[in-house]
Amino acid sequence: MAKIIGGVGTSHVPSIGAALDKGLADTPDWKPFFDGYIPGKQWMADMKPDIAVVIFNDHGNSFFLDRVPTFAVGVAETYHPVDEGWGPRNVPDFKGAQDLSWHFVDQLVERHFDPLVCREIDVDHGLQVPMELFFGHPEAWPVKVLPIWVNTIQFPIPTPQRCWDMGKVLRDAIESFPGDERVVIMGTGGLSHQLQGSRAGFINRTADEAWLNGIADNYDHYRNMTREEYVEEFGSEGAELIMWLVMRAAMNDKVTLKHRHYHAPASMTGAGMVVLENA
Amino acid sequence: MSTIPETPLYDRAGSIRGYRMNKMAMSLGIPANREAFKADEAAFLDSHGLSEAEKTAVMTRDWHEMVALGGNLFFILKISAIDPTPMTRIGAAQAGMDHDLFLQQRLGKL
Repeated sequence: MAKIIGGVGTSHVPSIGAALDKGLADTPDWKPFFDGYIPGKQWMADMKPDIAVVIFNDHGNSFFLDRVPTFAVGVAETYHPVDEGWGPRNVPDFKGAQDLSWHFVDQLVERHFDPLVCREIDVDHGLQVPMELFFGHPEAWPVKVLPIWVNTIQFPIPTPQRCWDMGKVLRDAIESFPGDERVVIMGTGGLSHQLQGSRAGFINRTADEAWLNGIADNYDHYRNMTREEYVEEFGSEGAELIMWLVMRAAMNDKVTLKHRHYHAPASMTGAGMVVLENA
Repeated sequence: MSTIPETPLYDRAGSIRGYRMNKMAMSLGIPANREAFKADEAAFLDSHGLSEAEKTAVMTRDWHEMVALGGNLFFILKISAIDPTPMTRIGAAQAGMDHDLFLQQRLGKL
C-alpha cells in the first residue's frame, strides 16, 4: 500500500516564482523568505517521496468563470506550466501520477464527492511555486504529481468542513492504493492577504502565526470556522487557507510539527510553511 | 455574504457584472491577444463588447474602477502584465493610498 510520508502547508504567492525568475532570491527583500524554506527542502530531499499530491486553486488561468468546478482532480499524463500573461516560465513539465489519480477519483465518487476529472489541463503558480519551494529547480521533477483544484475564486467556495472531508478520502485512497509509493501531501495557499477592495493590503500577522502554530493540534478550531470568518481573519484571498485542511485531515490526529517558517510580506501576502509528520 | 467592511467577495453579482471584462482579460493569456491589445486597445476592447465605462477603466488602468465594475483581480492581473504594473501599485490604487504610504501602513515595509 502507498504510504503518506508527511504533509506540508505552504504559500504559493506568484511573486515567489517571479523573484526566482528574475534572480532576486538573494536580495534583502526575499532572502529571509527563501532561507526559511531550506529546512523544508532538506526534509523533502531526505524523505524522497515518489508522488506529491498538491491541493491548490487556479487563479484564472486554467479555469475561466464560464465553468467553475468546486473540486477538480487531474488524471493527466503530463501537466504543462501555463502562460499567466507574463510569457512562459522556465519550469519543467510535471508528470502525472495517473494511477493514483484515477484511484482517488474512484474513491471520491464512492464517498459521494463529485469532482471534475481533468484529462488535459495546465497548471499555474498555485502548483508550480510550492514545487519550486520544496524541490528547487531540477531539470526534471523527482516526483509525479496528483493535482487537486479547489475553487477559492468565486463564491460559493467550499466549506472548510468539506475540504476536511476530502482529506479523509484522500488518506484512504492513498492507503488503499496497491503500490509502495511514498506520498507527500501539499496543502497550499495563503497566508493572510487581500488583493481587492479598499482593505487591499490587509495582512494579519497575529492570525498567521496562530495558524502556523495551531494547524498541527488546534485543527478543530480551523475546521469549524466559517468561510466568512476566514475572509475576515485572513483577507478575501487569504481564505485559500481552507486548502491546508485537505492536507491536515489526511494526516493522523496527532502529528509532529517538524518545521515552520513565517515571513511577511512576500509581495502583499503573509507567507510561510509547515512540515508535519504523523506522530 | 458581502458584509465584511471594504472587502468585496467575488459572488454571483460581481461575476455577472464583470463577465465580459474578465473574459477579455482572460484572453490575454494568449500571446497573439496580448499583441492585438497592445496594437489597438480600443479596438480590442470593442471586439470583446466592453461598455464605455469598462473601456475607460481598462484604458486608464483604473484598478479601483475595474474591480468596482466586477473585474476579478486574478483576471485583471493579465492587464497589469502588459505594462507591467507591480501588484503593490494595484493594491495601493484600490486602497486609495499613495504607494509609499501603502507599503508602510498596510504591508509594514520601508
